[in-house]
Amino acid sequence: MGKETVATVAEANAKSLPECINSSNPFHECSDYCVRKIAEARQRLDDEVPDSWKRPPEERTLHPDCINASNPYHDCSEYCFKRIADAKAGSERAQKEDAGKSDATEQQSEDNEAGKQEDAGGADDGYPQMTEKQRKLFELQLKMNEARKANQQAMVAEKKRMEPRGESRGVSKQKWLEDRKKKIGKLLDSNGLDMSKAYMLDTQETAEVKYKKWEKEPAPHGWDVFNQKTLYDAYKKRTKNIEVDMEAYNKAKESDPEFYRDASSLQYGKVSKVPEENIDKMVKELKDREAKRQSFSRRRKFNEDKDIDSINDRNEHFNKKIERAFGKYTLEIKNNLERGTALPD
Amino acid sequence: MAEHVGFSPWRSRPPRRVGGGVEAASDPSIGVLTEARLPRVTRVKNKSSSKLQITAEQIIREAREQREPEHPRGPARKIADADELAEYLLGERKKFEDAVRRAASCGSPSAWVRYAEWEERRGDLHRARSVYERALSSSAAAQRDHALWVRYAEFEMRSRCVSHARNVWDRAVALLPRVDQLWLKYAHMEETLGAVANARQVFDRWMAWRPGASGWCSYAKFELRYGEVDHARAVYERFVAEHPRPEALIRYAKFEAKRGEVERARWVYERAADVLTDDNEDAEALFMVFAEFEEGCGEMERAPTIYKYALDKMPKGRTDELYRKLLAFEKQFGECEGIEDAIVGKRRIQYEDEVRKNPLNYDSWFDLIRLEESVGEKERIREVYERAVTNVPPAEEKRYWRRYILPMD
Repeated sequence: MGKETVATVAEANAKSLPECINSSNPFHECSDYCVRKIAEARQRLDDEVPDSWKRPPEERTLHPDCINASNPYHDCSEYCFKRIADAKAGSERAQKEDAGKSDATEQQSEDNEAGKQEDAGGADDGYPQMTEKQRKLFELQLKMNEARKANQQAMVAEKKRMEPRGESRGVSKQKWLEDRKKKIGKLLDSNGLDMSKAYMLDTQETAEVKYKKWEKEPAPHGWDVFNQKTLYDAYKKRTKNIEVDMEAYNKAKESDPEFYRDASSLQYGKVSKVPEENIDKMVKELKDREAKRQSFSRRRKFNEDKDIDSINDRNEHFNKKIERAFGKYTLEIKNNLERGTALPD
Repeated sequence: MAEHVGFSPWRSRPPRRVGGGVEAASDPSIGVLTEARLPRVTRVKNKSSSKLQITAEQIIREAREQREPEHPRGPARKIADADELAEYLLGERKKFEDAVRRAASCGSPSAWVRYAEWEERRGDLHRARSVYERALSSSAAAQRDHALWVRYAEFEMRSRCVSHARNVWDRAVALLPRVDQLWLKYAHMEETLGAVANARQVFDRWMAWRPGASGWCSYAKFELRYGEVDHARAVYERFVAEHPRPEALIRYAKFEAKRGEVERARWVYERAADVLTDDNEDAEALFMVFAEFEEGCGEMERAPTIYKYALDKMPKGRTDELYRKLLAFEKQFGECEGIEDAIVGKRRIQYEDEVRKNPLNYDSWFDLIRLEESVGEKERIREVYERAVTNVPPAEEKRYWRRYILPMD
C-alpha cells in the first residue's frame, strides 16, 4: 500500500508547481487555471509590496567575482568594484613577483607593463568584460539603486515620524541602547571598534556638523526665552523691514532747523503731524508681528493610542504638564510599578 | 445588583455586599433607605479576592466617559435693543472684574490684559485705556512690568492714536530706563512713523542712561540707515569712550573698514592696542582681528610684526591661537626664514620653559642646544652653552656627572 501510494504520489506531483496553493495536496495536478492563479498572486504581491526588499529583485547589479555574490539581496556598488579591482591587482602583482624574482630588471619592466595594463584595465574599473556603453549603463543602475535605498530609508523615517509616538512609559533607556547597538554594532565589529569609540565611524561631514552644534550656544528655553539678547535680535530683524524714505527725510531735514536733536532739545514733546500712510504702515507692521507670534508654538499631534490617565480635559492638560516636568525622573518608578516589582539595579 | 461594578457619581458609596452589617434594610419597621446599614464591627471571613475585580485604569476610563462637557454653552442670546446690549455688557464686565480681582493676589497682569483687549475689540477705546491705567496703578509691581507697558503702548498704536502712544512710551521709558526693549520699540515706532528727528532724540535720551553695546550699536545702525556717516562716527566715538574695551574698539574699527576708511581703521586699532591691558582675554582677539585687517589691506609686513608684538606682550598661556595664525600667515605669504623663525620661536619658548622649571634635566638642555644649533646663530649657541654648563649637578654621584660631562664636546 505504501509503495503504491508513493508511486502514485510521485506521478501526481509531476505537474504540481511549487508556488501553487494546492501543492500540499499530493494528488493535485497543476493546470492552466493554476498557472493563471499563480501569476495573479505574484502580481498582487508586487502591488501590495512595492518595497523590493521583501523579495530578492530579479535584476540586480552583480559582479561574478564579488565575494558577496552568493547573497541574493546583494547589489554591487562602487566599493565592491574597487575591492575587486584591488584584489585583482594584488593577485597579479603577487604572481609577477613570484615569477620574476630572479631577474630584477625583467620584473621592473613587467611591473611597468602590469602598471600600464592596470591603467588600461583600471579605466574599466575592475570589470573588464564590459564595453563603455555597458559600463555607463552599469553606473546608472548603481545610481538608481542608491536612490532607491535612500528613498526607502526616507519613507521609513517619515512613517516613524508621522504616526504618534509609542508608549514610552514601560520602556527605559535600555531599549534605546539596544537599538543603537543594533544599528551600528555590525559596523563597529567590522572595524574592530568598541562601543565607546563609536565616534570613529563618523565621516568628516558629520563630524563637522557635530562640531558646529557644539560651538553653537544653546538656545534659551523656559522663562529665559525673552531675554535682552533675544529681544534685541528680534528688533534687528524688524529693522530690516523698515522702508527708508529718503525724500521725505531730506525734505524734513530742510524744513526743520533742529533736525539733529539731542537729548536736551526743547523740541521734546512737541506735536508733529504724522501722515496717515505712515500710521497705516505702523499698524500693518504690528498686525504682521502678531500673526508671526501665532507660529511661535505649534500644535502637537494627538496620540489616540495613548493610555487614558485623566478624567477630564483639565486633568489631561495637567498630566501633560506634570509629565513634562517630572517624567524623566519618575520613569523608572513607573516601570517598576507596572511590572509589580522593582529591579535590583 | 449590577454585574459590573462601576462608579456611580450619584451615590456616596458603591454598592457592596459585605459579610457583616445588619440588614436593617429588610426590616420595614425602620424607615430608612434600602441601602443603609447599621454600622457593626465586621469580621471579614472570606479573605480571598472578590470575583468582580476592577482596576484603576477602568475607573478612570469610566469617569472620563461620564464627564460633563467642558464650558457648557448657555443658550444663544439674541440681543434686540440697547437695553439688552447694556445688560449683556454688564454681565461680561462683571465676569472680567471678578477675574481681575481674583488675579490681584498673583502678579500676572493677564486678567487685566484680557479685559482690556475685549474692550478694544468692542471698539471702546476709553474704557480700554482706563482698564490699562487701572492695571498699572493696581500695584507697584505692575508699574515695573515692562510687558504690561508694551501691551498698553501697542494697543494705542493699533488704535492709531499716535500722541497717546507717544505719551505711554514716554512714561514707560521714564519709569523703566534699564529695559532695552522699551527704548527699542519706542524708537522703532518713531522711525516707522517717519519722525526721524524724534527717533534720534529718543536714542539720544537712551544713551544718557549708558546702555550696553547693543544699545549703542542700534543707534549707530539707525544713523547709517539714513546715510549719516559722520553722526554714526560720532556715536561710535562716544561708544568707545563709554566702553573702553576691545569689543567696542573692534566694532568701531570694523565699521570704519566697511566704509573703506583704512587710515581711520588703523588708527582705531592702534588706539585699541594702547588702551588695552595685557591680561585681558579679548586682547588676543583684538590682535588677531587687527592682523587680519592688515592682511586684508595688503600690508604684508605689518601683519607679522603685529603678531610678534602680540606674542611678546601676551602671557604665555594664551598664545596658541596667535601662533597658529602666525604660522598660517607665514606659510601663505612669508619666506622660508619667516616660517622657520616662527616655528623656532615657538619651540624655543617651550624648551626655555622646560629648562627653567627643571634646570637639572639635561635632556631638555640638549633639546634647546640642538634647536639653537639648527638656527645657526653663533652668539645664541654660545650663550646657551654657558647657561647649560653652570647647572652643576647637586650630588657627588657618578651618574649625574657622567651625563653632565659626556656629551659636552
